[in-house]
Amino acid sequence: MAELTTTKLNAESHLILDQPLLRMPYELSRRNQKTAQRYLENSTKDILTLSTRTAQRAPSAAPETTLASIDTMISKMQGLKRKMSNLESEEQRLHKSTRARLQHLQDLYEVQSLVDVKYDEWSRIRLSRLLVDYLLREGYQESAAHLAMSTGIEKLVDVDAFVACHKIEQSLREERSTTSALSWCKENAKELKKQGSELEFELRLQQYIELVRQGHEKGIGGQDVDMDGDGMNGVSIAVGGGRQGGGEQKLVEARAHAKKYLSGSGDFGLLGRAAGLLAYRPWDDVEPYASLYSPHRWHDLAHLFLTTHHTLYSLPPRPLLHIALSAGLSALKTPSCHSAFTASSGAIASTTTSVCPICSTELNDLARNVPYAHHTKSIVEPDPVVLPNGRIYGKQRLELFNEGAGTEKGMVRDPVEGLGGDTWLEGDVRKVFIS
Amino acid sequence: MQELLEQLETLEKTANLAASIDHVQEAIDMLTAARAKIAADAQSAPLTLAKMQDPLKRTLEAAQKDIKPIYSGLNKYGKALDKKFKDKPLPSASNDALSSHPQLINRAIAMHLLREGEFGVASTFVSEANRHPPHPEPTPNTPNPYLDEPWEKNLADGTLNSEKLQKQFVEMYHILHELRQQRNLAPAIEWARERSDILEARGSNLEFELCRLQFVCHYVGHNPSGVDHDEVMGDLPLGPMVAWEYARSEFGVFQRRYAREVQQLMGSMAYWQNVDDSPYRRYFYNDSAWEEVATSFTREFCSLLGLSADSPLYIAATAGAIALPHLLKLQSIMEKTRTEWTTQNELPVEIPLPPTYHFHSIFVCPVSKEQSTDQNPPMMMPCGHVIAQESLDRLSKGARFKCPYCPGESHPRDARKVFL
Repeated sequence: MAELTTTKLNAESHLILDQPLLRMPYELSRRNQKTAQRYLENSTKDILTLSTRTAQRAPSAAPETTLASIDTMISKMQGLKRKMSNLESEEQRLHKSTRARLQHLQDLYEVQSLVDVKYDEWSRIRLSRLLVDYLLREGYQESAAHLAMSTGIEKLVDVDAFVACHKIEQSLREERSTTSALSWCKENAKELKKQGSELEFELRLQQYIELVRQGHEKGIGGQDVDMDGDGMNGVSIAVGGGRQGGGEQKLVEARAHAKKYLSGSGDFGLLGRAAGLLAYRPWDDVEPYASLYSPHRWHDLAHLFLTTHHTLYSLPPRPLLHIALSAGLSALKTPSCHSAFTASSGAIASTTTSVCPICSTELNDLARNVPYAHHTKSIVEPDPVVLPNGRIYGKQRLELFNEGAGTEKGMVRDPVEGLGGDTWLEGDVRKVFIS
Repeated sequence: MQELLEQLETLEKTANLAASIDHVQEAIDMLTAARAKIAADAQSAPLTLAKMQDPLKRTLEAAQKDIKPIYSGLNKYGKALDKKFKDKPLPSASNDALSSHPQLINRAIAMHLLREGEFGVASTFVSEANRHPPHPEPTPNTPNPYLDEPWEKNLADGTLNSEKLQKQFVEMYHILHELRQQRNLAPAIEWARERSDILEARGSNLEFELCRLQFVCHYVGHNPSGVDHDEVMGDLPLGPMVAWEYARSEFGVFQRRYAREVQQLMGSMAYWQNVDDSPYRRYFYNDSAWEEVATSFTREFCSLLGLSADSPLYIAATAGAIALPHLLKLQSIMEKTRTEWTTQNELPVEIPLPPTYHFHSIFVCPVSKEQSTDQNPPMMMPCGHVIAQESLDRLSKGARFKCPYCPGESHPRDARKVFL
């Protein structure tokens, strides 16, 4: 009976790891629909005004002009159609991949038992999915695409979406450019607002900081051009040109930028600090301005972008592989896995059991920091017997080993010690009771 | 799942952009027609344009209206999705022990890919991972991942240069391919013979099993090497004769360990005319023999490398998926009752895994209900019952005591440490 309960597969509760699988194409579909709507609305407005205007002017205008404006309308509409067709093929792709995913999950409902071969196959596909997800999150796109292709699960993973996300993240982290991140914000403005996301504000703030930095670096005439040593200190303010110039202009630009994008925030403390930047230069090293100037902010921005992106697409903050693995490592780990003593069941010397996955090289070090599984009952091989050296084996396995190792009749060897170890009389092997 | 599939059906069939695009095309047609008319007769321009206004507007509005079903279809699908996953929240980031060891995870993945025979993917991954080493993130147990112990770094560096490992797995897949597809035992036998001593020390029968299968192959006349044996010796037909020769030259080393099996194989010679009806039939008509040998070869091969036969990553991820519902339930209960998890080293709930996921024997002391550890090992009393060291100390208080399971009395110093 116990066996039945542990091997029964409850598909419904088994899907915990699979929510993102369906969420992603759903969110993408919604985005697709919204883009289509936006295109249509904009073009409609455009075309209708154009057409009214053409109609009004037609009686007085030259025929060529009328024809030309009709041509504009036609080409605009064709442009719209092209865009819509692109969206439609994207829509179809999404539908296909959603169908494949639903089918994949449906397959699980057809499996009743965890020891079924079909479950094994299903779970292998899931592992490949988790791996692709992990690789994409870590930025290993080539490997991810390669793995998806070689295991035939392209429809079950979202390589493109992650590649786009990674590109934006890299543009923040490496290139220190806000452009692509801001255009992403614009595309998703509504949802971001609903979320109460700070991302756009932070990006604008960063733009402001960069403007101010440029302003200071170019130098506000006379303040830090001492190295020129030309004795023009204080004079150039009025001139504003030449090498020292542009500084003020950048600062003015920065002020305008702040007025336009930042003043609405309501966080006056922050705004005050931002204004303070105008007075403190990046190399002055005065807090709290130094931390605003810090290049580390770009990493924070990249991180903020990732979190915002993942929340928007209902993706968990951590790779699913981490979640599955930490649960799995704990569930499998036993005190023997990192024990100083070789376990009899450690299988190093046994032919009937396989090496424990936690003891295997791949996972052993990873599992060091996770708790081990809780058990309320002993699990031992049937018919346990104890050797004179204190090792306990299932009787059958011990016999099998000794047959295989060609031990003399009436004698017994310890599988862990192998051929180099002691041999004992069979009579010295005792029965042991483990409850 | 059915519900979601139905909603998707609607989306695929009716709620898509096709209708909208048709209407856009209609508008284009309208404009092209008007243009043609005006080009032909410039005088008609005002009238044509005025006439076109309304239909154009209607068509474009229709195109916009076509989007509505998509919107509501997606909404319905989204609701079905919410309902489906209402009680299945995304697992939170609690208890994260892995983010600080991305090197180790990468290594595990590289090894997984290699052992699954995905050599192409593995090499892509290794080169990509070497180009962009991962950034460890601090976790509660490892707050300073960059200052990690050297063993981790060495290990991780050592195996991401995975050529050696790759070579080994290439060899394994080559041998398996020959076994399964070509029915050619030669490479496997060669491999096993080179490692004869180690295999024997492990008590493995692999070498003999392979040779026995080879013998059977010769006997029934399966000849993968394609070499012709034209001469017929004596009055025995070719197959058994070759098998006999093979046995004479190869089975000598097995005499000591497998005397009985060898005798049986030889005995089958007497039945060469009708092996089908003989008691030896089970050796000769066993279709699963190849698969069994292949599995046993894989296991031995991996074990000699210190690896488990099935990918640990696969087993751990699967076990994780099985464990997650239980862990989530635990988490929600702990949140509700505002209790903390007191046993840091041990999970607070039992996770029922199928028996195939039990790799070690586990001893739970029947008295204290605790699992044995290095510090608290199982002790066997002279009567043969086993309890944990701490329980033994507590029960005996250093003097003679009665076994909690039988009438046997003993002194604690007579109890012996045992290993499971």
